[in-house]
Amino acid sequence: MSSLSNLLLPAVLFFALGVIARLIKSDLRFPPDLAKVLSIYLLMAIGLHGGYELAKADLVIAMNSIMWALILGFTLPIIGYLALVMTRKVSPLDAAAISAHYGSVSAGTFLTAIAYLDNVGVTYETYPLIMLAVMESPAIVVGLILAAKARHSIAARETAPVSGGGAVISTPDNGDGPGGKFSELLRDAFTNGSVVILIGSMVIGAISTPSGMQQLFPFIDEIFMGVLCLFLFDMGMVAARRIGDFRQVGWLLALFGIVMPLVGGVVGAYVGHAILGFSVGGATLVAVLGASASYIAVPPAMRLAIPEANPSFYLTLSLGITFPFNVIVGIPIYHSLVQAMAAG
Amino acid sequence: MVELYPEKLLSIITNDSMQERLECMFKKYGVSGFTIIQASGEGSSGMASEMSGFDGNILVKVIVPESQLQVLLESVERKLRKGYHLTVFVSDVQVITPEKFNKKSR
Repeated sequence: MSSLSNLLLPAVLFFALGVIARLIKSDLRFPPDLAKVLSIYLLMAIGLHGGYELAKADLVIAMNSIMWALILGFTLPIIGYLALVMTRKVSPLDAAAISAHYGSVSAGTFLTAIAYLDNVGVTYETYPLIMLAVMESPAIVVGLILAAKARHSIAARETAPVSGGGAVISTPDNGDGPGGKFSELLRDAFTNGSVVILIGSMVIGAISTPSGMQQLFPFIDEIFMGVLCLFLFDMGMVAARRIGDFRQVGWLLALFGIVMPLVGGVVGAYVGHAILGFSVGGATLVAVLGASASYIAVPPAMRLAIPEANPSFYLTLSLGITFPFNVIVGIPIYHSLVQAMAAG
Repeated sequence: MVELYPEKLLSIITNDSMQERLECMFKKYGVSGFTIIQASGEGSSGMASEMSGFDGNILVKVIVPESQLQVLLESVERKLRKGYHLTVFVSDVQVITPEKFNKKSR
């Protein structure tokens, strides 16, 4: 029943409409950058709202949430990497780039989960929102480290039979290569646009006067779900373009795009429920954070940091498979899972 | 009749995440100017859609004197060897204001 109620959520229905529009080859086109504009609004609204609530929050629980968000962000990509390397379907560099996406988070999925919880009347804590902001970046760092390791082993293997061939990969000469500006990539990871909007809006929401915030509520509350519908409508079209690439990645990788969110969802549900002690709603949101894969922040970071990896692998997996899976069936699954944990 | 002067046009198609690095490269080698156009298409590294601002491509155009072209190409080649996806081609063009493109040598 709960899965049906998710499918009948306007936001999810609009996502489906976007997918259908592409499949029937409709000439419907949204202006370029619309999804980016909408995601700026969504992050700003959710950040302001969350910051306002968080001003009343418990600092100890908040710090604990941040710590566990970091642990999740650093651990999940390693699980993903090991699983991908075991499939032997992708190179270690591809595995590093793909797993970085799975350790990071998708704000679109998180917001859909909020719409779902609101719809079924489940309340949730605000702490997962800080976790959303924190979890954007660590996975990028893990991806860089895994890639550096992979390059070393490739270079070691290649320098033995071929002289000098592998050296190019492992030792960037004048600093404009991958790994050459490691500190710069680290800075990029933590000053990423969505992190700045989200944390900045949370701070503004927390320190603004309540009357000032009251004036903002029509902007951040009342039109929020409508904007989310538009965003998912657009994302449905973007995702549908990627679904066609499914054959290119192969069934084993496609399976990874479904199994990995389930694994992340279980880990997140456990952390949210058993460790952080959140309500069913709050723990569901943590499960969604564990399950979701980034498609805005991480792809450009990986293009720069791991250029050797094939972008169609990670984009197809995160945008074409995992995102639709989470939005349509994943969220109710994670909700039921947390309910089962809470009951047991 | 207006006189025309030969120059080289270097065109690079790549992902928009590379923009900053290419701009740095141009500045480093004293390129007098460049033009960047949003682009979309499909190629060996998959699809690049202009749609919704995700994962777009750019087409970078730089006009340089032949003497400057080689250092730029060498820098581009280093990037290619590191695995960056760049589609690069050079063509002959004719300009009416050569002083615009010869920042260093004139």
